[in-house]
Amino acid sequence: MFAICIISGVVPQIAAAHGGVVQEDDLCIIKVDYLRAHFKVYQPRISGHEQFCEDLPAASESVFVMEYQHDALGSMPIDFRIIRDVTGKGRFARLEDVERIDDLDSVTVFYQAAVTEPDVFSVIYEFSEEGDFIGIVSAIRPDTNKVYAAVFPFEVGFTGVGYWPFFIVVLLLLQLQYLLMSGRLKRWMGGRSPGVIACLCVCTLLLTPEDSTLADEDGLRVTYTSPSGVPEINRIHSWILHVESADGLPVENAEIEISGGMPEHDHGLPTQPRVTEEIGNGNYRLDGMRFHMRGYWEITVTVVTEEGSSVVVIPLQL
Amino acid sequence: MQFAAVIVVVAAIVAWWQSRAVEPPLWTEAEIDVLQSLVLESLPALPPDPSNAVADDPRAAELGERLFFDPRMSANGGISCATCHQPARYFTDGLRKGQGLGTSKRNTPSIIGTAYSPWMYWDGRRDSQWSQALSPLEDPNEQGTNRLHVVRVVAGDESYRRQYQDLFGPLPNVDDTARFPDVTGPGLGPDWDAAWSSMTEEDRVSVNITFANVGKVVAAFERTLIPGASRFDDYVRAVAAGDLQDQMALFNDDEVWGLRLFIGKADCTQCHNGPLLTNNEFHNTGVLNSPGELPDKGRAVGVREVLVDPFNCLGDYGDDPLRQCAELMFVRTGSELVGTVRTPSLRNVEKTAPYMHKGQVATLAEALRHYNDAPEAMVGHNEAKPLGLNSRELRQLEALLKTLTTPVDEHQFDSM
Repeated sequence: MFAICIISGVVPQIAAAHGGVVQEDDLCIIKVDYLRAHFKVYQPRISGHEQFCEDLPAASESVFVMEYQHDALGSMPIDFRIIRDVTGKGRFARLEDVERIDDLDSVTVFYQAAVTEPDVFSVIYEFSEEGDFIGIVSAIRPDTNKVYAAVFPFEVGFTGVGYWPFFIVVLLLLQLQYLLMSGRLKRWMGGRSPGVIACLCVCTLLLTPEDSTLADEDGLRVTYTSPSGVPEINRIHSWILHVESADGLPVENAEIEISGGMPEHDHGLPTQPRVTEEIGNGNYRLDGMRFHMRGYWEITVTVVTEEGSSVVVIPLQL
Repeated sequence: MQFAAVIVVVAAIVAWWQSRAVEPPLWTEAEIDVLQSLVLESLPALPPDPSNAVADDPRAAELGERLFFDPRMSANGGISCATCHQPARYFTDGLRKGQGLGTSKRNTPSIIGTAYSPWMYWDGRRDSQWSQALSPLEDPNEQGTNRLHVVRVVAGDESYRRQYQDLFGPLPNVDDTARFPDVTGPGLGPDWDAAWSSMTEEDRVSVNITFANVGKVVAAFERTLIPGASRFDDYVRAVAAGDLQDQMALFNDDEVWGLRLFIGKADCTQCHNGPLLTNNEFHNTGVLNSPGELPDKGRAVGVREVLVDPFNCLGDYGDDPLRQCAELMFVRTGSELVGTVRTPSLRNVEKTAPYMHKGQVATLAEALRHYNDAPEAMVGHNEAKPLGLNSRELRQLEALLKTLTTPVDEHQFDSM
């Protein structure tokens, strides 16, 4: 019932909207009007981690995932509908064609009522038969109630040979990307193995100075002191940051922002440390520091004063 | 013909070369340092839990142990904490997902050593052992009861009552069912919500305090569950002592090679570090969804839950007047957490199959193959990179993992 209300109430408003699924570079993108998300479909029972963009190889359990590229999607109720393609337009079906269908519910095979998913949107549906389908995604802007939609025709039990060359190119690109991303290509071309790097990290740990590291940029200097000497792994602790200008004068009344992470692992800090107290004489108490693995870390300290802002990166080999 | 013979000979030599046992080299000092960071001797003293005033009180641990094994703490009188956390299985249950009144959301993790973790559950949706212990009691798929029923079980058992009052003073009198409605399971629902909101604020608080105290005694028991030594610990001790004979008696070549991979090429210690072989942090390793279910968002959802849990470190029911809650106050939030779950300890890993947060992976070999492939994650991004290990190396790693088992009879809970 809810489904009917949503559709009958919503469809007239989306007449102006447009969008669909497109392949951009190596990435499958769904455009819900101007709102974009990384779109991928899995059939984990039959093809594991393999990703599909639109057409699916077989009637099987299918997981549709949208990873937002516009954060706004995370605060918009999104509904997701799959209908049998009765438009006769095949992969050229558009929103107008869908709107001409009198009884949308009678051709609907799957409907997920509107939900707000702050992180990532996903639905799961097991196709019971092969054939042509149309996916319809609508997102509602809460402030204006305007509805944005994407319509994407797709085939389940995809056997068309006409697209094979295209798929081969995509696969080659994916493989190349995989090689580049995984660093295999680099290693194959003579780079170091991760084992060696890990060992180097461990060795350097022993050589890391005991209490502080100095870093500078734009003349500003930031020194950190960790009370227990070398920052410990897996224990939350505090630092004292000392900030001084190029001529050695303490920097006071500064706003300090902390971020950081492991660039090689593409992840941030496990906590969100904050400066909780200005102790005076250019010293600031930084609470909530934690490291959860050995290796190379970078702590980015942004110091904002009346004169402007400076960014200092503290490299840390743990 | 001659050419064929040459090929056969070459093939035979290659096969022999590939299969010959290569004796592992001696450990360097730097490697020994890493190894020693992984053994139980390096386990620091139990971190204090200032939010639980009875955490280290043996009387609390004794009562907690009794409650842990008491099936009356459930809607049908048949399910205790130990239904899923079975001592003989290292406090797991051998199932893909826990089975209480229904099927729980995820795989049952072990409790051993969790006193060292700032976060409980795969998604870290609780921040102490005591607040965690409360949650299955009211989960409709687990013990499926409610806090008033829990208070009644404690109040209704003469010896529980005495033990409780010895620790916390008088129990609230909940006999008046007009004031304290008697709602029976399963778990929380509309009936319970209505009953709960019909109570006065003062009565709700007094029930919550008692309920929290039940969690605190159970946690006092759980704090005593610390892993015992395994063959791995014995081996590293022999390495540190430079005792080659002991080393050879304790580990075969495959296990030694496995250990080399563990701290080296396979990079396991990135997450499985420290004496508990876990950093207790949240990582996305691209595990496939559980069949029929959406991909698990993990910590991204768990962190929102722990921040609003009334029994969290900053809530009204903790015992620390200073509210030392650094983990909660500086907790990371945001989209980076999508699809991440907490690293489990690898201790006793051979005996705690199936693996991963939904028990998706049945065997150690399969788990290792997964990390070797490091496929792209369904949601979020896989932090692991493909390892490029060959099948022999995978077998060696598996052999190493099997040395991490503590014989059950060496655990202090063997009598349970």
